[in-house]
Amino acid sequence: MQFQPMYDNGELFLPKIELNMTSNQSIGIITDLKRKQLLMNQLVNYSEYYLFRAGQGEYMRLTVEELITFLIKVTERNERVALLMDYFALKEERKVKIKDLSSSKRMYVTLLRVFFAHQPTLVLEEPYFYLEEQDRRHFKRILDDLSKEKQILILTSNLEDAIISCDAIYRLNESGFHPLDIRDSEEDKQEVQKQDEANITLQKISTKRNDKVILFNPPEIDFIESIEGSILVHVGGGNYDCALTLTELEQRLLNFGFFRCHRSYIVNLQKVREIITWTKNSYSLRLNTGQDAVVPLSRSKLHELKALLNI
Amino acid sequence: MSISLKRARAIFVKDYKEFTRNYAVSIMLIFPIILALLFRSVDPSVPGIFAVVLNLSFVILSCFTQACLIAEEKERNTLRSLMMTPATTMDVLFGKSSLVFVMSAVVLGIVTYILGYEPTSIWAFVAVIILSIILYTAVGTICGLFSKTVLEASLTILPVIFIFTGAPWGTLLVDDFPIFKVLEYLPSTQLVYFLEVRNTGFTMGDLFPPLLITLAWTVVLTIVSVVLYQRRLKDE
Repeated sequence: MQFQPMYDNGELFLPKIELNMTSNQSIGIITDLKRKQLLMNQLVNYSEYYLFRAGQGEYMRLTVEELITFLIKVTERNERVALLMDYFALKEERKVKIKDLSSSKRMYVTLLRVFFAHQPTLVLEEPYFYLEEQDRRHFKRILDDLSKEKQILILTSNLEDAIISCDAIYRLNESGFHPLDIRDSEEDKQEVQKQDEANITLQKISTKRNDKVILFNPPEIDFIESIEGSILVHVGGGNYDCALTLTELEQRLLNFGFFRCHRSYIVNLQKVREIITWTKNSYSLRLNTGQDAVVPLSRSKLHELKALLNI
Repeated sequence: MSISLKRARAIFVKDYKEFTRNYAVSIMLIFPIILALLFRSVDPSVPGIFAVVLNLSFVILSCFTQACLIAEEKERNTLRSLMMTPATTMDVLFGKSSLVFVMSAVVLGIVTYILGYEPTSIWAFVAVIILSIILYTAVGTICGLFSKTVLEASLTILPVIFIFTGAPWGTLLVDDFPIFKVLEYLPSTQLVYFLEVRNTGFTMGDLFPPLLITLAWTVVLTIVSVVLYQRRLKDE
């Protein structure tokens, strides 16, 4: 999959992007509304992509069962309606008209259109945005099954949504197109150095932004991530470059209640609100900062975290 | 351009269910019947009454419902989604048009029965009605394509009502405005001429010109609507 570069007022707005899509792998791109639209628009004229846009509507006056029947017939598939209704977990809503469903369920039913797509690549815009927890789980299950045969690309502005079902996540913004490291590798062991026990001296974290050196008190920091080798310190929605490595930062911040929750992430435990469990093997942490920030949590780190929090 | 009957049927059934549950639009089906009941008490020998009812019914039934069906799909972006399924343009148009056709044919049958009209030649009458339904459905498709919402569709239909049902009256003013002579060639005026051919002493020669002109309109408008449909969908 390839995207052409686009310029806005002489500035590179969308870099040239080449994605190596393989089946059994779904890719997420975290980006803003305008870039999402531009990406989708580049794919419109190719018949190998099924585009699901956020504004997709549904036939409101059909019942759920009638809609599924219609989708089966119009795509000439040989599935049985009853079996599919079971698979979609929509048995109870069988006779309910689409317009009478809750908004989350209605969106979920609308999203089922991607299940019937015959194109080899599915592109979804903000699939999880309007879904409630339970419907998210159902849809994630369906997408996981679909990804066995198809390539899936998810465009979203929310890291949490991308974490739910993407194997590789990229961030696309004014600083370019960069992969985020969210892989959960267990064999990854860092050499844990001995901690300086009496280290209660003042610890400022020095960061750089636009050639200015900015010092942060550790409690201010929400979380720290490593993107392609460079360290970004997130404070109150903004991010700042830092010259230290994650291991160094981890040691310096340990006494301030920070926790290395992932190979590429250190999180301020004081700001963690929720531990989200997607499946048995994937977790993330939601922070209670102003912006809805979500940080991945390795499975191997979960026990450590639980011990730390006495849960 | 191939048509899969299975897919067209699926679209037909889906649209039928959607349409019958959309009371705001499906109430239009009763309108021609009420009109017919009202005019029944009028002296049936008055010429043109039947033609007026028919012309209005065509616009309300075939044209308006088809425009609403298409505009509603556009409003909800389901048409775009439908284009990504194996269903072709012809499947979609055929499925929708056949629904409109069946509904129009049934209602017009009832209207003809209520008004007690006896056609001079049953075959010519059926032919002209079928052609007219197709013709007005094509006009409805075009209206639907130029409107983004159902509300807009009911507005774009207004000029159609005005031109097509008004044309027979316009021809009365031909002496004052010679330009109105053009209106004689509109299908609605031709329908009036067609129905005015009386039982006594008619020849096939009297029936053919209106039939041919209607046929020409049907062919041209159908082609235009299909081409426009493909164009407009690519633009969006």
